Amino acid sequence: MNRRKFIGLGVMAVAALPATLSALSTIDFRATKPDTWTAHTVADGIKALYGDIKPEESGVTVKAPKVASNGGAIPVTVKSDISAKSVAVFQDANPESAVAVFNTDKDSIIDYMFKIKMKKSGTITAILEGQDGKFYKGAITIEVALGGCEG
Amino acid sequence: MANMKIKAKLKGDVIGVKAMAKHAMLTYDQAKKKGKEANFITHITAKVGDKVVYDVSTSQFWSKNPQWKFKFKGAAKGDKIDITWTDLSGKTVTESKKIK
Repeated sequence: MNRRKFIGLGVMAVAALPATLSALSTIDFRATKPDTWTAHTVADGIKALYGDIKPEESGVTVKAPKVASNGGAIPVTVKSDISAKSVAVFQDANPESAVAVFNTDKDSIIDYMFKIKMKKSGTITAILEGQDGKFYKGAITIEVALGGCEG
Repeated sequence: MANMKIKAKLKGDVIGVKAMAKHAMLTYDQAKKKGKEANFITHITAKVGDKVVYDVSTSQFWSKNPQWKFKFKGAAKGDKIDITWTDLSGKTVTESKKIK
């Protein structure tokens, strides 16, 4: 190992340290679960992220407009009162299914809004990994009038 | 650099944050059509001091110039919130805002 590389590693280790001290740390799910992001179906995406799970069909609310006139920016809100470890959002209208994976802790308020693109009508699925080790699921099916992936 | 617009407001004991980043969010399909490299925001983190209050890994299916909202507890008026995004090319942008 040359000197430059060694110093680089030292800097990285120091940079990683503060994250472990705070209650909520940063997790790059793209790095830790790379297969999630290339999965083409919602089921495969969930499997790549959490393994073989059987989520309860309750506890998570997904809100989005029933009919989205502009598929390029659909506001999606994911809400839950369950204390969560992580929350993952998938949809089945685009070439790949994963949209976002939130890293949460027991103090996190699960009330996230973000705007997404959808190529066509489809279902948005949110999976919540509870602090209790159980999984919960919420979903909404929406119509997209004008697809948003062609840009 | 005003790449990001952030609004953070305290209501009761909960801070509501609204943010918008300027980013083309080119998906792999879009990039192919335009003959460009795909590039999109892959990670967003918000911190108050050392404490991480929001942490999300994102995909190319967030909208162009993505907007997002979140809530958290445990900060006061006047505290500074720092939001950082990283994109596929490795570019990182951090913007700060005082909580109102």
